[in-house]
Amino acid sequence: MQDTKTQIKKGITLHTIKTNKFKTNLVAMFLTTNLTQENATKNALISLLLRRGTKNIPTQDELSKKLEEMYGASFDCGLDKIGNNQVFKFYIETINDEFIPQSNEEMWKTSLKLMLEIVLNPYEENKAFKKEYFEQEKNTLTQLIEGRKDNKAQYALNRCIEEMYKDEPFGIYKYGKVEDIEKINNNELYDYYNQLVQNCKIDIYVSGNIPEEEQIKELINKDENAKKLNERESKYNPIKIEEKKKTENNENIVEEAMEVTQGKLVLGLNVNIKDEEEKYKVIVYNAILGGSANSKMFQNVREKAHLAYVASSSYMRHKNTIFINSGIEIANYEKALKIIREQIKEMEDGKFTEEDLKEAKKVITEGIKTIYDEQDTQITYYFGQEVANQKEISVEEYMKKIEEVTREEVIQIAKSIKIDTIYFLKNN
Amino acid sequence: MQVIENLKVKEKLYIEKLENGLTVMIIPKKDIQKKYVIWGTKYGSNESTFIVPGETESIEVPKGVAHFLEHKMFEQENGRNSLDTLTSLGVNANAYTTNDHTAYLFEGIDNFYPALDELMDYVQHPYFTDENVEKEKGIIGQEIMMYDDYPEWRVYLNALEAMYHEHPVKLDITGTIETISHIDKEVLYKCYNTFYNPSNMVMVVCGDFDPENLLEEIKKRLIKKEANGEIKRIYPEEPEDIVKEKIEQQMQVTMPLYTIGIKVPPMEETEKVKTHLGVQILLDLLFGKSSELYKKLYNEGIIYGIPGGDFEFSNGYAHVLLTGQANDPEKVYEEFKKKVSEFIEKGINKEDFERIKKSIYGSYVKEYDDVADIARMFLSDKIKGINSFDYLEEIDTINVEYVEQLLKNIFKQEKMVISIVRN
Repeated sequence: MQDTKTQIKKGITLHTIKTNKFKTNLVAMFLTTNLTQENATKNALISLLLRRGTKNIPTQDELSKKLEEMYGASFDCGLDKIGNNQVFKFYIETINDEFIPQSNEEMWKTSLKLMLEIVLNPYEENKAFKKEYFEQEKNTLTQLIEGRKDNKAQYALNRCIEEMYKDEPFGIYKYGKVEDIEKINNNELYDYYNQLVQNCKIDIYVSGNIPEEEQIKELINKDENAKKLNERESKYNPIKIEEKKKTENNENIVEEAMEVTQGKLVLGLNVNIKDEEEKYKVIVYNAILGGSANSKMFQNVREKAHLAYVASSSYMRHKNTIFINSGIEIANYEKALKIIREQIKEMEDGKFTEEDLKEAKKVITEGIKTIYDEQDTQITYYFGQEVANQKEISVEEYMKKIEEVTREEVIQIAKSIKIDTIYFLKNN
Repeated sequence: MQVIENLKVKEKLYIEKLENGLTVMIIPKKDIQKKYVIWGTKYGSNESTFIVPGETESIEVPKGVAHFLEHKMFEQENGRNSLDTLTSLGVNANAYTTNDHTAYLFEGIDNFYPALDELMDYVQHPYFTDENVEKEKGIIGQEIMMYDDYPEWRVYLNALEAMYHEHPVKLDITGTIETISHIDKEVLYKCYNTFYNPSNMVMVVCGDFDPENLLEEIKKRLIKKEANGEIKRIYPEEPEDIVKEKIEQQMQVTMPLYTIGIKVPPMEETEKVKTHLGVQILLDLLFGKSSELYKKLYNEGIIYGIPGGDFEFSNGYAHVLLTGQANDPEKVYEEFKKKVSEFIEKGINKEDFERIKKSIYGSYVKEYDDVADIARMFLSDKIKGINSFDYLEEIDTINVEYVEQLLKNIFKQEKMVISIVRN
């Protein structure tokens, strides 16, 4: 079960993953472009507009009916932030032909053609998006951006990211800003969309019980919508290790008040490493610190001090940053922060056992193996390597690199880690 | 073992009821690396009044005991916590409590049998002390507070409160900070000994296994316990009518959240699957992605996404729920009621019906990919007395006339409530 790559045109790659393990086939299409303040809001609006209708399927309910007809195919679209890129992600999942009662439809074809139609052939009027849709989706986007306050834990994490990357693209919220929505002109947006599809990096994934790659490639080459795409020097930011700004123990402490019962404490930590290879060490470091129920965070903040139900950390690999998350009683802020600092310090001092190291590795390798069993995770894994411009690393190689991480290396990573931002969401 | 095969999804279920009363269900999945085991007891937040087998008087325990027990089961006499032990083995372990069952589970690729040792050991050996019970009150207190900040959870619970006078389904699964303060180790042992008897439990395993071998491995790990008699569960008498039509709560949200609830009288055992499927079809027809109602409300800028539809049922209750966000929830509610009347009056479009039926069939097929989805589905259905395969078969027997009848019987205006959370 490998990612077989083939170039459709320069800058446009088809990836096929042949497997008989699933009841479903999954088609995904990713458009990768630079993340900028100027374009973030436009991209978000485009992503909303594309799901409204196409030239041949002009309304959303016709599109929904078409998907229902395909035995409840699901169509998803969203925007993701990967490093300094904004990625449009589109997915169509259908049950595969084997489970369709009395039919000889080739579902992968229907899905792929529909995908190209949705992404590349939007409903256009007078060189603009259909006016009615444009107006409605501006409202939807406003709601989406404002609605981010509703999930307090997610909001706190996003705010910490914003504070930590104030002057950098990564600090931009993936759906942009409400103030920018009104500035968008429909004709300009449509122009911008056309440039976008001609300049971005495009990756198409087809996974499941599918034919040979040649046959899929041929379908794309003959597809009217895909034919419109030119070859391109894709404009995007391949993921690379960035020089971290020097914080020199200048912790940025941000407190914000909202109507909450429970306080949300998020810490952003800078990791200083030299190359891609060192990331495996950071992955192990993070697993010991807060990656599982055996981790320092879970054990000390939750189990020993009983301060929280959620206490964990996660490593944002593409940005080389670790975030610590916990939900605590507001009055316990100082106490929780003290314990968290102690955990970070203990990592530096090498206060973790061989057993901790072994268990952390086990948690990571078990996690990575599951990609064989999940179609979408598999695509995400391969795509992560694709945007990093890396040569493909198999699951086995990945596990080997994790196994090779030593105790000294984890301590060395620990010493390079500094708290950058402390964000606390408390009540009014 | 008894083998039940389903030709539509090409899967087999192996099932056996052991001498001590434990039901074991195995769904082999070839070539899948992940293995998933879940061990459930028919004991959830709804069981707070019951008669212990062999006794005559009923007892009432504080709300939230089932969930409290779930938290405490991991603690071992030797000072270890089983969650840590399982994590060390590289498996992903967890537990959860619902209205009608509590389940302990893990998922992993390697070390399945050592992990099974641990799972079966800790579920069969409770260890409660005054000290460890007190400590847990702090953690659960934080969990309760975390849910208090979720508007989605509040809008849901409030809808149940508007529908139910007495039935405990309307209460928070965790209990409240007040009710859990009354929990002590005696109560926990009492409930454990009553409900964690093998005859009240079901184990489901999904993964690449030889079922007969696996069954032997499970048997080996069971400690000797006799099946106990029937546990008499006492639920308060629940009137058929609703409590109030509208309930509101103020919270800081950018757009109001709403849940429309419809209270449904308890169903016949044999009708559950068919009714469930029928309701799903109706919800999609009335207010799904391709519905007129969704199109209208979206175009008017009242809603921005389709509401999530659900049909929940278990001992002594059943209700339909529609949950979403809207600028004007009252308007959504009025339009929904109008749409129901219109459907009743004009009947259901055959073409739409067939299309939705296909789509729902596909959604059930998709449930058979992930070992976790499969095992959890078989467990929660079994607790309700259902074999999950029945959904794939019974959908064929549903026709327009059936759903039209269901619409009249279930979607009654006087049984509807609306719950709103807004600023």
